[in-house]
Amino acid sequence: MSSLQGYVDRRVFLVLQDGRSIVGTLAGYDQKSNVVLSNSTERVYSSDEGVEEIPLGLYLVKGDMICLIGEVDEEADQALDLTTIRAEPLPPIRY
Amino acid sequence: MLIFSVFKTLTDQTVTVELKNDLCITGVLKSVDQFLNIRLDNIKVSDEGRHPHMMAVKNCFIRGSVVRYVQLPADHVDTQLLEDATRREAQNQIKQR
Amino acid sequence: MASLSIQEPFDLIRLSLSERVFVKLRGDRQLSGILHAYDGHMNLILSDVEETIMLVDGMDDAEPGQQVVNIAKRKMDMLFVRGDGVILVSPPSRA
Repeated sequence: MSSLQGYVDRRVFLVLQDGRSIVGTLAGYDQKSNVVLSNSTERVYSSDEGVEEIPLGLYLVKGDMICLIGEVDEEADQALDLTTIRAEPLPPIRY
Repeated sequence: MLIFSVFKTLTDQTVTVELKNDLCITGVLKSVDQFLNIRLDNIKVSDEGRHPHMMAVKNCFIRGSVVRYVQLPADHVDTQLLEDATRREAQNQIKQR
Repeated sequence: MASLSIQEPFDLIRLSLSERVFVKLRGDRQLSGILHAYDGHMNLILSDVEETIMLVDGMDDAEPGQQVVNIAKRKMDMLFVRGDGVILVSPPSRA
């Protein structure tokens, strides 16, 4: 099983089916890859202003909703200036 | 099962995964499971200008169900072996009926 | 011999192994490539693939004739195609 074990207690980046991006610390997960994040924020991207960060706190994401989970390089992430990043939000999944 | 085995033989090779949200991620295939969930290391998103979302992400877990394509390294795929294995699997399905 | 005749849909695909096939996919995409493997989900492995994506520009309310269809083409050496996107697989024409 390509499990999420290595990601526990790490900062992770989630891409959801509807296109949302969420960053948080992976507090736990289960068989169905339902995921609990602590200290999480949604990063809202837009093409005409910087990235808006919306605090979500402790957050549970259903496994079905998840496209991708990535491990964040915290140093690289802190070096990013989110206010200068302009990008279209990721499109939702379309079959 | 057959396709799962193919992916297992490709671990530690570089592949490009294209998702159903048009993201294209190149990385080293670290592992795969029976759902064809994929773990990639050392990832790089194609067209980072348009998709800067994952600039600080080094490795990731991709849900099999959101994959559209995976571009494979052709020199590590034995097509003759694949065709034989596919025929064998199809044959087994017939016997089971 | 059961294995040599076409009795069910998958037989048609089996007989197309190592031949060039045409694949129609969701999202206005189509592929042409040499078929090397498939399974019961219609997951496919193709080589020497050309993908064609049809993008329809213009308003939804435009006359059918007014819409512009843009075609993007792309080539790939060896490709795994996830079965859930497959609409049809057509064997090579035996003209």
